[in-house]
Amino acid sequence: MTASFARRLNGMKASEIRELLKITQQPEVISFGGGLPAPELFPIEDLKVVMADVLDREGPRALQYSTTEGHPGLREAIARHLNSKLGTAFEASGILITSGSQQGLDLSGKVFLDDDDEVLCESPTYLGAINAFRAYRPRFVEVPTDDDGMVPAELDRAIAGCRRPKLLYVVPNFQNPTGRTWSLERRHAVLDAAARHGLVVIEDDPYGQLCYEGTTPPALASLPGGATVIYLGTFSKIFCPGMRVGWLAAPPEIYEKYTLVKQGADLHTSTLAQHQILAYLERFDIDASIARIREVYRRRRDAMLRALESEFPPGVSWTRPRGGLFLWATLPEGVSAREALARALEQNVAFVPGSSFFPNGGHENTMRLNFSNMPEERIAEGIARLGAVLRELCAGRAG
Amino acid sequence: MEITIDRSSREPIYQQIARQVRDLITTGKLPAGFRLPPERRLAQALGVSRSTVLIAYQELRADALIDAHVGRGTMVTPSEAAPTHPEVEQELPWRQLFGAAVSGFQDPLVGDLLRLTERAGAIPLSFGMPAPELLPFAELRDLITGVLDDTGPAALLHSPTEGLTVLRATLAQMMAARGVGCTPDEVLVLSGSQQGLDLAARIFLDPGDTVVVEQPSFIGALQTFRGARVRLIGVPTDEHGMRTDVLESVLSRFRPKLIYTLPTFQNPSGSVLPLERRQHLLALSRRYQVPILEDDPYSELRYEGDPVPSLRALDPAGNVLYLSTFSKLLFPGMRLGFLVAPRLVVRQFALARQTADLHSNTLGQWVLDRFLQGGRMGDHMRAVRQAYRRRRDAMDAALREAAVPGLVWQRPQGGFYFWCRLPAGVGPAALLARAAEAGVSYLPGRACFADEPPAEFIRLNFSYPDEEQIREGVARLTGVIRQETGHPSTAEIQAASTRPIV
Repeated sequence: MTASFARRLNGMKASEIRELLKITQQPEVISFGGGLPAPELFPIEDLKVVMADVLDREGPRALQYSTTEGHPGLREAIARHLNSKLGTAFEASGILITSGSQQGLDLSGKVFLDDDDEVLCESPTYLGAINAFRAYRPRFVEVPTDDDGMVPAELDRAIAGCRRPKLLYVVPNFQNPTGRTWSLERRHAVLDAAARHGLVVIEDDPYGQLCYEGTTPPALASLPGGATVIYLGTFSKIFCPGMRVGWLAAPPEIYEKYTLVKQGADLHTSTLAQHQILAYLERFDIDASIARIREVYRRRRDAMLRALESEFPPGVSWTRPRGGLFLWATLPEGVSAREALARALEQNVAFVPGSSFFPNGGHENTMRLNFSNMPEERIAEGIARLGAVLRELCAGRAG
Repeated sequence: MEITIDRSSREPIYQQIARQVRDLITTGKLPAGFRLPPERRLAQALGVSRSTVLIAYQELRADALIDAHVGRGTMVTPSEAAPTHPEVEQELPWRQLFGAAVSGFQDPLVGDLLRLTERAGAIPLSFGMPAPELLPFAELRDLITGVLDDTGPAALLHSPTEGLTVLRATLAQMMAARGVGCTPDEVLVLSGSQQGLDLAARIFLDPGDTVVVEQPSFIGALQTFRGARVRLIGVPTDEHGMRTDVLESVLSRFRPKLIYTLPTFQNPSGSVLPLERRQHLLALSRRYQVPILEDDPYSELRYEGDPVPSLRALDPAGNVLYLSTFSKLLFPGMRLGFLVAPRLVVRQFALARQTADLHSNTLGQWVLDRFLQGGRMGDHMRAVRQAYRRRRDAMDAALREAAVPGLVWQRPQGGFYFWCRLPAGVGPAALLARAAEAGVSYLPGRACFADEPPAEFIRLNFSYPDEEQIREGVARLTGVIRQETGHPSTAEIQAASTRPIV
């Protein structure tokens, strides 16, 4: 029989990019595509200790049903960790354990969005968030963003053009895809606008701890100003992505709704995984582990920046991120990143064309480059090959 | 709307309700136009009589804070006199910000129930969980602690949205033992079957669509469908499950998008749909081109009689989407279940899942795969079946011994539950309160119906408590039922009466 899917699904299609990137899993491909952490940095030996520890200490409880809100000890540990890093004042009772921060995005859509509600976001913004929200059929309103973050005057203008603005989705630290970090002034100004217009801010912060120069500015959730901020975090980028454990922090009146909606989505997040992470946090020094990750990624970022400087043709510009996993390159007007990808793949080099990160499309001349997943010498080699492809394309256009 | 009742307070309950609603309105937390829950629903949720809520609403109406509109319910009245304090930091109007889907998740019943059972000393007959002492902890412990030696970082990395490839193959093999031929790419791993219900709702249902459910049905499914803002049409059941003879007229009249059924050891009724009805159901699904969502958590837990093939096993046309879970067989906290469906549907589930949570915990999938591959499931299942059969018999014997007049049940051949019809006149709200006082919990039958139930039922679980707890729990509960029989409170009678409109 022909399955009669919901009309809502019309907004959701298999990403051609994702299909394309399937081939990047072959070992000969130098991939600047995914946002994966480097597996050689996982604390495997420590985790082996943790696995036995949890089961000996907790017994069968580590495998039983648990509450939708999550393991109380883990919620407390997360609140403590965040409050010491971000200057926030989260209470354990306001932390909801999610099955990765992707679930935090999905639940946000389910809690807040009806058809044609407006979601305001940076332009460009995180692809996974676009897809999560798109399932609830909102209208995306892109707000122009520069190197200091979202532009407040543009935000006001965008809100003025909205009919039912609901959510403001932002990644203020080492943003995916651009690597940009918002200045403190911008943080205050955007929060102020959100408060004035009654917008709920979704602050997505997977990369805040991956800072390679200076310090990460304060989280929006830690700043005064009366705006409502829901803060999403995850262990995927600083620990192991396969565990699928993230969290969100929300004010009480919203927290309850998230819990109800999560209960309908998957009852709760794997009890075992929650216990394992908690035991790791208690027994080992996650900050030391993050420091090791930071050191490796910083060197990889530097390797990529050096290679770009020497290999990319004039007319191509890029961001210089102070943290995170990505940088963002802009090709001369009229040069297609999609075309560049097709040619780069012939040279076994992959990246993600930037237009996917604009909910309303366009910007065909942009590209996202990940620098965390490849060793330095492969970064140099890959950028050299990519540079050759781009020189050819730019020259072709000039001629 | 958060309202808490303090039964130890000297303030009458109707005044407690009126006071709290008044506060919510005057502080602006319930905005003008906010629709209050119908009296009956609020009464049910709070465990008070409908007349109590009625009086509370009357007070609020007299204060001109709320107003009743025929067809639209009771709403907060707009008031120019409502105090506004511009200098005070205004709280966001949350009710207006939440999406409409959230209103489907309002039912606080389950949460309240869990809180009741957390009282020390209460015997839980309300759960739907396997007995932890019967689960193979030592074997799983060895697998979990050894998995990283085998896999290295792979068990900590992202894995495919559809599930680990090895696990999908193992599950396809397992399905062969359940009489279902399927290929690994027709299998999708889920974080429990609740996720399967949620994804099915996302994929198939738009607001206003119709879904057919059994009357009664699984409470978690009803909540998920309500959250999807669909119309639920209940098909009556008898001791043999869904009345497929009634289903036909439902299908022709309502043209539903989905038929949701739990045909084997149903939750809550414990019934098994006989073969002829299964075939009838499948024939109707083909004739009306409506897919069946078959939920099958319990079929492996049969304590007597011959197995009946699943709908999926009987369905050559691919109309059946088959959901199952390990939460009733192994440890539920691992959150692992699966879907068997045509490739196109699996693909669509995977796409929806990409946006929902990417994939299930990778390490848990490795461990489950090793456990199933190790051939340990067979021994484990034999052991739990024996234990659960004894528990079932203990519950049956305890109910017989109590011999409460008018209390009717059927001994289930498998699964986790006894479904008992209460004697006429026992008020469901009063019974719940009395049972909590007596230190025993159960699931009130009302929660399992898409609309008004034909009678009052309770669901009793026998898998989680041991035989001694079962005997004691049933004794406490039947004692309370006996006391309540024939003595419905005035409030319950009032609540059940209809006031003439004059």
